[in-house]
Amino acid sequence: MSVLDILWLLPLASAVLIWALGPQLRRTAGALGTAAVLASFVAALTLFSAATTAPGLHETLGTWVPGFTFGLQLDPLSLLWTLIITGVGGLIHLYSIGYMWSDRAIARFFAYMNFFVFAMLTLVLSDNVVGLLVGWGLVGLASYFLIGFWFYKPSAVAAAKKAFVINVVGDVGIMFAVFALYASTASISFADIFAKAGALPPGILLLVCIGLFIGAAAKSAQVPLHTWLPDAMEGPTPVSALIHAATMVTAGVYLVARFAPLYSLTPSGQELVAVIGAITMVLGAVLGIAQWDIKRILAYSTMSQIGYMILGVGVGAYQAGVLHFFTHAFFKAQLFLTAGLIIHALHDEQDVRKMGGLRERLPFAFWAMLIGTLAIIGFPYSSGFYSKDAVIYGALEHGHPWLYVAGVLTAGITAYYMFRMIFLVFFGPYRGDVPDEALAIDPRPVVPHAEDHGSHAPAWLMQVPVAVLMVPTIVAGYVAIAHDGSSPWTRFFGALFPVGEVAAGRALPISEVGSTLLVLVLVACGILVAYARYGAPAVQLAAVDRLRRETVTMPPALRHAFWFDDLIDAAIVHPAQALGMAIARFVDPHVIDAAVRDLVWLAGALGVLFRKLQTGLVRGYALTIVIGAAAFIAYFATLGGRP
Amino acid sequence: MTVDVSNYIALSAVMFFIGVAGVVLRRNPLIALMAIELMLNAANLALVAFARAWANNAGHVFVFLVVTVAAAEAAIGLAIVVAVFRRAKNVDVDEVARLHG
Repeated sequence: MSVLDILWLLPLASAVLIWALGPQLRRTAGALGTAAVLASFVAALTLFSAATTAPGLHETLGTWVPGFTFGLQLDPLSLLWTLIITGVGGLIHLYSIGYMWSDRAIARFFAYMNFFVFAMLTLVLSDNVVGLLVGWGLVGLASYFLIGFWFYKPSAVAAAKKAFVINVVGDVGIMFAVFALYASTASISFADIFAKAGALPPGILLLVCIGLFIGAAAKSAQVPLHTWLPDAMEGPTPVSALIHAATMVTAGVYLVARFAPLYSLTPSGQELVAVIGAITMVLGAVLGIAQWDIKRILAYSTMSQIGYMILGVGVGAYQAGVLHFFTHAFFKAQLFLTAGLIIHALHDEQDVRKMGGLRERLPFAFWAMLIGTLAIIGFPYSSGFYSKDAVIYGALEHGHPWLYVAGVLTAGITAYYMFRMIFLVFFGPYRGDVPDEALAIDPRPVVPHAEDHGSHAPAWLMQVPVAVLMVPTIVAGYVAIAHDGSSPWTRFFGALFPVGEVAAGRALPISEVGSTLLVLVLVACGILVAYARYGAPAVQLAAVDRLRRETVTMPPALRHAFWFDDLIDAAIVHPAQALGMAIARFVDPHVIDAAVRDLVWLAGALGVLFRKLQTGLVRGYALTIVIGAAAFIAYFATLGGRP
Repeated sequence: MTVDVSNYIALSAVMFFIGVAGVVLRRNPLIALMAIELMLNAANLALVAFARAWANNAGHVFVFLVVTVAAAEAAIGLAIVVAVFRRAKNVDVDEVARLHG
């Protein structure tokens, strides 16, 4: 067994072990699960140099039928995802020990989490499209398990189902892309497909790219398949941090980046990806303004940030898009984990209207949230500053000025809704009803089924991961700082991504520095508007009334999230239900049941007819046999005897 | 002296049709069973005749099998006859027609 096998299978082994021994392990399951994921992280680190020297690490697992050879590969792109999945994932596992301390199903939780890590590793380590699809399906399953983790809440079960169904739409898209790829290249391995990509007819190539992107859109919550992501916040907060912010929802970015050799040959496919990414980016940010649930604010911001990444990989700025994934994984995980700290401290209160003034009372959460917010809005020298600018300017460099404008505007909106959240949560008077002495970063029983109410997890369990994440939240972007024309980031990927058409020599309307300044001006405007509306002392005094009024006067388009749910209901769900009812009312009784009834009648009628032959007279039977035998003999002796 | 194989086959055919007539026409089950034996032995005669004519021992082997089956069949047939006789107090093949549903 190679190190690659071990790092891939360790989380699975741990998941199975925890699953089997859950009731005995109880809280030890948390330590075991965390250790397994962190061990995978260390294993991935030891492979760093092997994976980054071209052509990377490859290992064949086995052949099913000719053409279907399964294997693992670790190239820079896989390695990056593997490190984030196991590294950030390991920290979130550690945090979960504290967060889920009082939940009696803690072992089940860690079994699911480890299973998710295994599924995600399968997705990114596969060297072929079928293995990728298997991983793709399994992460959807893990997501379903974890969103519906508190299965006694009907809303959680509904959200889990919704996520699963929408993700299956994406799985089908990828499946058809795989069919088309296999039909035209007779292979499933990435290397073979990419080698033959140039010879594929453009129509097939476009179909494959669209199919793959349907999968990417469903998994990465791109318009119009995004509606499951805000609902997915029904799951425990560490799940939101790991699956619905840092890793799984960025699988779409991985998919497009992995298939960069195909997308680079299909300008219209790229266009589609980039435009959908931009629409999602703007829409997510606009909807982020109108949320009152702290986790839904972060969910829409995740959607918007993934829009940036998809925009980046869509226009052909693969390194920029992937860089934004890299930095986003840190700061969004940190934001979610901090939100979890607040939710825990406020006894499961998620409504920002009932928060406020928590800056003095939860100083650690305040600083953590502030640093994460500065990173996400692209504050100078934070990680988001580098990645977001790279994406926005990449759109311009690859010849998409309108998408560039959308990116710049969205940066301003992002600053607005993030600081709206900061002001609502941490400034002004406290608007909730949790007494002062009960307010602390102090894990409380979070579920009705909680046991031993007296026992509390040590506070460091939840604070340490957040504190550790702060470091990359600030510095992760520095990998993209170029010296002499190449940054560690570009050296890391080497020749992995095809170099698209960059506007070398073409005059751009704005320089890179000018663009950065423009973004910063808009970000400053966003912060100022947020301050004027939610942060200024005069506003804060009347905050309770103001917020109540704002809730009522919220534009219906925002309140209903642009009616996407209603649209999908009207276009797909209701027709499907009507069809089902029609089938139940007419086809079922009058076609299917009728067919069965008629068959029964036919059998009875034939029985009545043939019963007459059955006289019971043995001599009659014997005569029939003789006649039959004579007929056979006559046939073979005269007609059939000669061939 | 060699006898032509067609003579054996003719004898076999005659025996077979006597057997058929016995089964179809006679109502006494004992006679019917004997007629069945006659048909089986007609077949045996044909098998042995062809086996001799073509010097192929497969025919002899089949005959052994047929004799075995015939013995078993006779045993079962007689058992049925006895069972029917116990119930009906006479032996008539058509009597068994009462068994049909």
